[in-house]
Amino acid sequence: MTALRRLDSRLVFFVLIAAFVLVIVVYPLVQVLLRSLLVDGNWSLRNYESVFGRPRNYFALWNSVWVSLAATALATVIGTLAAFVVQRTDVPFKTVLRFVLILPFAIPPLFAAMGWVQLAGPVGLLTQAWKSLTGAATAPWTIYGAGGIIFVLGITKYPFVFITVAGALQRMDASLEEAARTAGAGTGRIMRDITLPLVRPAILGGALLAFVSCIDNFGIPAVLGLRVQFQVLTTRIYEALTIPDLPLATAMSMLLVVLAGVAVWLLGKFEGRSGEHAIIGGKSIRPHIIKLRAARPWVALALFALTILIVVLPVFALLVTAIQPYYGAPLNLETITTRNFEAVLNSSAAQRGIRNSLTLAPIAATILVIVTALLAYLNVKAKVRGAKLLDGIGMMPFALPGSVIGVGMILAWSNPPIGPTLYGTLWILLVAYLMRYMAYGLRSCRASLMQIHDSLEEAASTSGASRLRTMRDITLPLMRPGMIAAWVLIFMSAYHELTVSALIWSARNETVGVWIFVMQDSGFPGRASALAIAILPIILVMFMITQWLSADRSAI
Amino acid sequence: MGVTIQVEGLTKRFGSMTAVDAIDFAMEEHEFFSLVGPSGCGKTTTLRCVAGLETADEGRISIKGTTVYASAEQVDVPTHERAIGMVFQNYAVWPHMSVFHNVAYPLKLKRASRGDQERRVGHVLQMLGMELLGERKPSQLSGGQQQRVALGRALVGEPDVLLLDEPLSNLDAKLREHMRVELKRIQRDTGIPILYVTHDQLEALAMSDRIAVMSDGRIHQVASPVEIYERPATKFVLDFIGSVNYLPGEVQSATGDTVTLRVAGGATLTLPRPGFVPEAREVLLAVRPEDMVLGQSVTGSDLQAKVELRSFLGNLCEYRLSYQGHELRVQTEKDELVPEGSDVVVGVRRGYLLESTASQDPLARVS
Ligand SMILES: Nc1ncnc2c1ncn2[C@@H]1O[C@H](COP(=O)(O)OP(=O)(O)OP(=O)(O)O)[C@@H](O)[C@H]1O
Ligand SMILES: [Mg+2]
Repeated sequence: MTALRRLDSRLVFFVLIAAFVLVIVVYPLVQVLLRSLLVDGNWSLRNYESVFGRPRNYFALWNSVWVSLAATALATVIGTLAAFVVQRTDVPFKTVLRFVLILPFAIPPLFAAMGWVQLAGPVGLLTQAWKSLTGAATAPWTIYGAGGIIFVLGITKYPFVFITVAGALQRMDASLEEAARTAGAGTGRIMRDITLPLVRPAILGGALLAFVSCIDNFGIPAVLGLRVQFQVLTTRIYEALTIPDLPLATAMSMLLVVLAGVAVWLLGKFEGRSGEHAIIGGKSIRPHIIKLRAARPWVALALFALTILIVVLPVFALLVTAIQPYYGAPLNLETITTRNFEAVLNSSAAQRGIRNSLTLAPIAATILVIVTALLAYLNVKAKVRGAKLLDGIGMMPFALPGSVIGVGMILAWSNPPIGPTLYGTLWILLVAYLMRYMAYGLRSCRASLMQIHDSLEEAASTSGASRLRTMRDITLPLMRPGMIAAWVLIFMSAYHELTVSALIWSARNETVGVWIFVMQDSGFPGRASALAIAILPIILVMFMITQWLSADRSAI
Repeated sequence: MGVTIQVEGLTKRFGSMTAVDAIDFAMEEHEFFSLVGPSGCGKTTTLRCVAGLETADEGRISIKGTTVYASAEQVDVPTHERAIGMVFQNYAVWPHMSVFHNVAYPLKLKRASRGDQERRVGHVLQMLGMELLGERKPSQLSGGQQQRVALGRALVGEPDVLLLDEPLSNLDAKLREHMRVELKRIQRDTGIPILYVTHDQLEALAMSDRIAVMSDGRIHQVASPVEIYERPATKFVLDFIGSVNYLPGEVQSATGDTVTLRVAGGATLTLPRPGFVPEAREVLLAVRPEDMVLGQSVTGSDLQAKVELRSFLGNLCEYRLSYQGHELRVQTEKDELVPEGSDVVVGVRRGYLLESTASQDPLARVS
């Protein structure tokens, strides 16, 4: 029967994808959970006790929590204010502002941390400028430690808040505010009584995303914390694995999962609640724009200054460090050198890193786009039972801190019951990227499929097209922008990935991110900066492509 | 072969809910056949079963003599192998293809030559008045133009039957009127049979050769527009097609061609004898607004009423009258304006009879 035949091909795909998701996502996670509870083959909580038994460990947990909370608070203030100014005032150059305000997303956190060391570290550019201006012996700040970590995390993660709040403000039905205005409320009153409560779920949602991202981060606390023995969970796990104390790393990973899990659970609650407000009113008149009058140029200037501080200065510092003979050398034209770039070019490890990243990133992106497009199709269009569950499982790594994925990879692929030992090869990095970025592909493919109304495909079949033909002529072309966006996003992220890679790389299998980190960590900031500066343009171009694609898609 | 589509005992359930309940109908060749009924009555589901987009649970469907679905024999021809053309309510014009490529797609699937495609698409576009828009993308078209692209795409492959699901409901009133005429004209010129779904009874009356009136997954009556209007089979059809006034009454006597009733409020009416007179004495008299005359006596069939409200409709005038506590709707030509508040004589020219015990039953037979 034809119905049976039709079912078969879908079933085959479903089984293949289910196997993929099980091996890539579920198997490592189960490993982490089980091994954290096993000591010498027996069930035990001893691994967890050892976390809380040593101050080094529980301080790391506590530091992760409070540093991330503080950084999230900073990110929320910056992101919310920027969103209000851009969406609700007549500040000039809005389109440009909207773009530059999300640029921190394009700068890898490791690069930002390095840039800030080179700006505000003991011999940093700003520190030197301060000293020569004031004649003081030391600067009144230090970039190393909690303060520096909070600062750099906050200014790299605020775009999460900015994007969600700006989006909510844009979708908000202007008539809600107008109703308050006709009831006699002034602008300040309306903001407080109407606008703010309506966008509060968006603010909280953005803040939770920023929090998860702070908890997850390794590059910033590694560069700014390790040197002064300020530990957070991710850096502590890194240390535990260099000893190596795998059981301890495993238990700490589970604590990270719990932290991120709580945040994601809260996020789900807020997202559900924001649905209760009908802030998406459809067609409505332009929202009320606050006139800044005389302050107009100054507000714009302040926002541009903010982005210069956040994006341009650190990159400039990287550039300066890259062309200086040694870190902290006096800045003048005579000392400019290409030595660092030559060192990168002559380093076979750097060469390998570039080659490896350029191999892994496109392979991961291609595999994931194909798999997630198929899974999204089975879930959204073919409505195969079970596909929704697979989609949910595939989304999980989105909330999983990278360190957990790293530990999971080591446990899963060091000595697997079947299949090859991937640990110690390049391919463990590939499997890790597949796990880490599956959610990116799923989100993008699902969203673009849901925009394709069923009747577009039905119209093809009433025109005489078979199921496969319909997929080829209608579904795939309409999905293509979403698939390209996912590909570029995964490529870009995997290309400079560090958190996971730092845990599972091995000699001869380094990546760009790992090489830069190792150079920075072992006292060669010039070389680290040189490679960072060299690959930044690629990342920026990729980032612009993702922005352009998503703007293009929402225009349809 | 005289029959285009034959549907027998078609049943479709969604979970425990029966959306289509054992319906039968047969479409003639060259026929414009409408399924009409209120929202949720199962029209779209029926159409989608015919198209094969939905798999029915029971029954048999054949198109031009070929069985495309039969539950008993486990036949289920997939949609793309049924020779149909379909226009969707939301047009479903493919946004990534030009007008030309949208319309040419069914031909491309049939591997028609490039020249053949150009000739036939050109012909269809010309018929639809779109010959200059072939290179446009759908996003550059108005709603009405997209509608025509969808129609062209459904027509170009010369299907055995055209399935249309409320194709005009997203258009503004003027364009809708225009497209009604256009559709009728295209159907006459091509001779292609059309199965048409709408919830708009006026549209169905204006366009169809025959109409099937549906409610709750069942067909109440299949007949020509005139017959549906003049001789509704059930109370539901009477109510749904046009409006109607009800007056309870008793049959006093019935002769070969008249029936005499005593209605609530005491008046006695002698009307032309309808198809049958219910057994029971207690009846419900149903009168269409245009079957009453205002300010004019009809021999032996008058009511004394008072004008409560007058609304001017352009070509007609509609009155709300009160007669002994009953509200009556009456329509008259506009040149016989009667002021609000005045007492008038209302002549009843004809009406339908129902058993009054069945007044809540939509399936109740109407004489
Ligand atoms: N996929 C489905 N799943 C569950 N119920 C459905 C589905 N499709 C239709 N129904 C139900 O079947 C009934 C008939 O639906 P159908 O779409 O055929 O109505 P319709 O007559 O076309 O109405 P309308 O004029 O509103 O389009 C409705 O009650 C509807 O809720
Ligand atoms: Mg319908």
